[in-house]
Amino acid sequence: MNDSSINQIPLFIPHSSTSTMVNKTGSWRFFHPKFVEKTAPCSAACPLGQDIARIEMLTSWGLLKDAWQTILKENPFPAICGRVCFHPCENACNRADMDEPIAIHRLERFLGDTAVSDGSKADFNIKPAKGKKVAIAGAGPAGLAAAYFLTRLGYGCEVFEARSEPGGLLRWGIPAYRLPRDILDKEISRIKDLGVTIHCETPVTENLLEKIRSEYKALFVACGYERSITLKIQGGDLARDGLEFLRNPHPAENPSLGRTAAIVGGGNTAIDVARSLVRRGVSVLIVYRRRLEDMPAFEPEAAMAVKEGVKIMELVTPIRIQKNSSNRSSSLPDFRLTLQQMKVGKKKIAGRACVVPDGEKTETIDVQNIFVAIGAKAEPIWQSLNANEPNSLDLRHCRLIEQKIPVVLGGDLTTPDKSVTDAVASGKQAAMALDTYFEKGLDAVEKRLAACRVGAGPALSVDTYLDQDRKYRNAHIVGYDEIVSDYFQSAPRVIPADLNAHLSIRSFEEISATYASDAAKKEAARCFNCGICNACDFCRLYCPEMAVIVDKTKRRINMDYCKGCGVCATECPRNAMALEEEIK
Amino acid sequence: MKKVIEGSQAVSEAARLARVQVIAAYPITPQTHIVEALSGYCSNGTLDARFINVESEHSAMAAVIGAASGGARAFTASSSHGLAYMHELLHWASAARLPIVMAEVNRALGPGWNIWTDQTDSLAQRDTGWIQLYCEDGQEVLDTTLQAFRLAEELNLPVMVILDAFYLSHTFEPIDIPDQQLVDRFLPRLSPRIKMDTANPGALNQLVTPAAYMEMRYNTQLAMQSAQDCLEKIEKEFAAVFNRTHGPVEAIRCRDADIIMVTTGTVTGTCRQVLADLRSRGEKVGLFKLKLFRPFPSNLICRHLGAAKKIAVIDRNISFGAGGIFAQEIRAALCNLDRPPRIFSYVAGLGGRDITPNTLVEIYNETKTKPTPKQESVWIGLNQEIVGTWRN
Repeated sequence: MNDSSINQIPLFIPHSSTSTMVNKTGSWRFFHPKFVEKTAPCSAACPLGQDIARIEMLTSWGLLKDAWQTILKENPFPAICGRVCFHPCENACNRADMDEPIAIHRLERFLGDTAVSDGSKADFNIKPAKGKKVAIAGAGPAGLAAAYFLTRLGYGCEVFEARSEPGGLLRWGIPAYRLPRDILDKEISRIKDLGVTIHCETPVTENLLEKIRSEYKALFVACGYERSITLKIQGGDLARDGLEFLRNPHPAENPSLGRTAAIVGGGNTAIDVARSLVRRGVSVLIVYRRRLEDMPAFEPEAAMAVKEGVKIMELVTPIRIQKNSSNRSSSLPDFRLTLQQMKVGKKKIAGRACVVPDGEKTETIDVQNIFVAIGAKAEPIWQSLNANEPNSLDLRHCRLIEQKIPVVLGGDLTTPDKSVTDAVASGKQAAMALDTYFEKGLDAVEKRLAACRVGAGPALSVDTYLDQDRKYRNAHIVGYDEIVSDYFQSAPRVIPADLNAHLSIRSFEEISATYASDAAKKEAARCFNCGICNACDFCRLYCPEMAVIVDKTKRRINMDYCKGCGVCATECPRNAMALEEEIK
Repeated sequence: MKKVIEGSQAVSEAARLARVQVIAAYPITPQTHIVEALSGYCSNGTLDARFINVESEHSAMAAVIGAASGGARAFTASSSHGLAYMHELLHWASAARLPIVMAEVNRALGPGWNIWTDQTDSLAQRDTGWIQLYCEDGQEVLDTTLQAFRLAEELNLPVMVILDAFYLSHTFEPIDIPDQQLVDRFLPRLSPRIKMDTANPGALNQLVTPAAYMEMRYNTQLAMQSAQDCLEKIEKEFAAVFNRTHGPVEAIRCRDADIIMVTTGTVTGTCRQVLADLRSRGEKVGLFKLKLFRPFPSNLICRHLGAAKKIAVIDRNISFGAGGIFAQEIRAALCNLDRPPRIFSYVAGLGGRDITPNTLVEIYNETKTKPTPKQESVWIGLNQEIVGTWRN
């Protein structure tokens, strides 16, 4: 039927049996693209410089253990920091320019909790033992972190702790409703599993200090601020120490607290004392000498306190505490606190407005207890160590002093911000500083540490220090305008619901909940993964010359055919590429 | 089996029966029903074809060019602005000698925004190297679409099957939908002459220098010139299977006619009735239906129209500054005859305005009473209340 009666006209069309591979379009190039991973703003904002873009990428892929291990490279305590860190990362998140920042803090906790409940064991490359023992004074976050990083660098570590259990402020300062004790124990047990010895109930006395100087190669001092500052006013000795109360806020240790209390101070300790008292049924009033916005307490914590019923009175400073007459027929509470009203002065110190007494205006309140939480300082033995030594080095989070053995002061003694994460950062910096000190001497320390900065610093990366992948990360911090936002759709930030305030104040149970696995993956998938390659493959798909090659999981560019059009680098949604002029 | 279906569906049924392998299209009124039905066939498994969703008509044509270069039987459909958007790639498809079939529903171009029928869209593509076939009714649409695949594949030229918006695309008629077995006999699987093959890599359509470009174009012209014979041969084979034929042109009572009216598309159907009425009144009138427009069947035009005194060409299209396009081409085809007929050019029915029997009678009378035609086209049925105010 179909046999043609018309002779077919021969087709005359251009056809070549050699493929276009002969046309090496690479010769046209005067720009060339490169895979250059850059720094995410969250990483640069994190005191520990964690590789958050990669952590969220791995989480979104469901590789939860890998994500957890990526945290462990820079931070030994995901489940702790995922609860108590003030998460400056989220303030820096580029996603906020589109909708809302990634819930980095909650996701860190999710990864930490998942590892704890799975009983995950971290597999590290621990450097070969260097035969050097380091003594660490204090088993708080800074001391434990120093032990963790020093052990990974090949040092033997022994920690001396005055109290009955390790944890420092984590155990004796932060209430259980913010950091459950079983989580704390499990996180610390991982440090012990690395081979770190923790000697509890072993305060560092002058004698022990002598022994350390002769038997150890270095000392890291992370004793924290254990001695509370007292109120130097008439009747100041009648007030109770807030920190001391936090060491055990439970009924067994602190039987009767009455019905009312005043707390003097505006820091995190004041807030923690207030919220612990609320959980004991006490009505709490915080009196603070400056304005609310000047409070050094982390804002979300203060907001939670207010939600739980804590009252805050601003611009008042205590001038006198008197005991009320203990007349059984009188129902007056035990103490009368006299407050001087303050007003904002003209001067500013360190960005905060000064306050001055507002004439003679005073007021009084009657309460059953007064707690003081106006700061703390180190025990005298440590203050003596911090004498002006000629051979010393001030690093941002610690201070290295060349004595008989090198001594590094860290934690609260040196950190500019008194936070758990900064304390861990201090331990990390101390470990890197000491290792460099032993390898190359005091003069090499600053330069070596500067090379490990995340972005412009101050956060440091141990991964970079160990010459791992992050060493090749460009310090440039990716901005929102460098994200190709067309690739992303607006999606709400989803975090698990907190315990309701009226339930939360009935116990010391943890307030915030952890993610379900699917919700966590979904939230992590909102991350732009700023500056890193997440294998989205758009560079390869859009390359008109098919010059992007995937070798195993790494991408490279076949320069024989890359004509330098720049489509790959322009289309990279997360700025993990760069385009450079080529000089021929 | 006969079914009452609309003209659009006649196209879809033909494409299904042709067992097309790749369809890429972008929706546009009044074409959408065609590919809507086909996408349904692809998704419910009635048709084993790849339906490629694209973001534009330009991409739709690019996709079927790719498919046809890979040796697949490829189909698309468009209309009006969609067709205009394909323009660049229409040239490509024909010069690359790809046997693509497209259904084109004649619709006016904007502005003024207008979805009704008008032939200017497809006629604006007359120089792109596509074979063009203008259909009169639903059955012809179905049959022509089936034939179009044969024509395209034998000549390695793309074919446009053209139907009027709404009068044809959306009108339901009883249409014989042939059995698949019979269609398979008429239209076997494509044995492509061009077929990219990853096992044997090569490149198509690279640079051609002046040393060979003219020959390449001449080669296409030769293929075009053989299309009329090829269509006639295919129609014979079609008639042998289905017992129906339509022809590249149809001349009705032209032999003794003094005046022959030339029509395309659905206007032909209206004119058949007018012809019967006028003949019954003793008028010596004929009707010439032009279906094949590219290649232009000059020999058939000379044969059927050459002996008449006057020819009245009805153009539902306008080439601004020149006039009705069919009239120009017919005039050109006849001009070298010893005593060519007078060509009367009429522009009517633009933008979907009805061409009624009265319109056609008016055209006939005008042609009959005027001894010589005007140089320019006469516009029929203009509203004088509007245009009368424009003249001094």
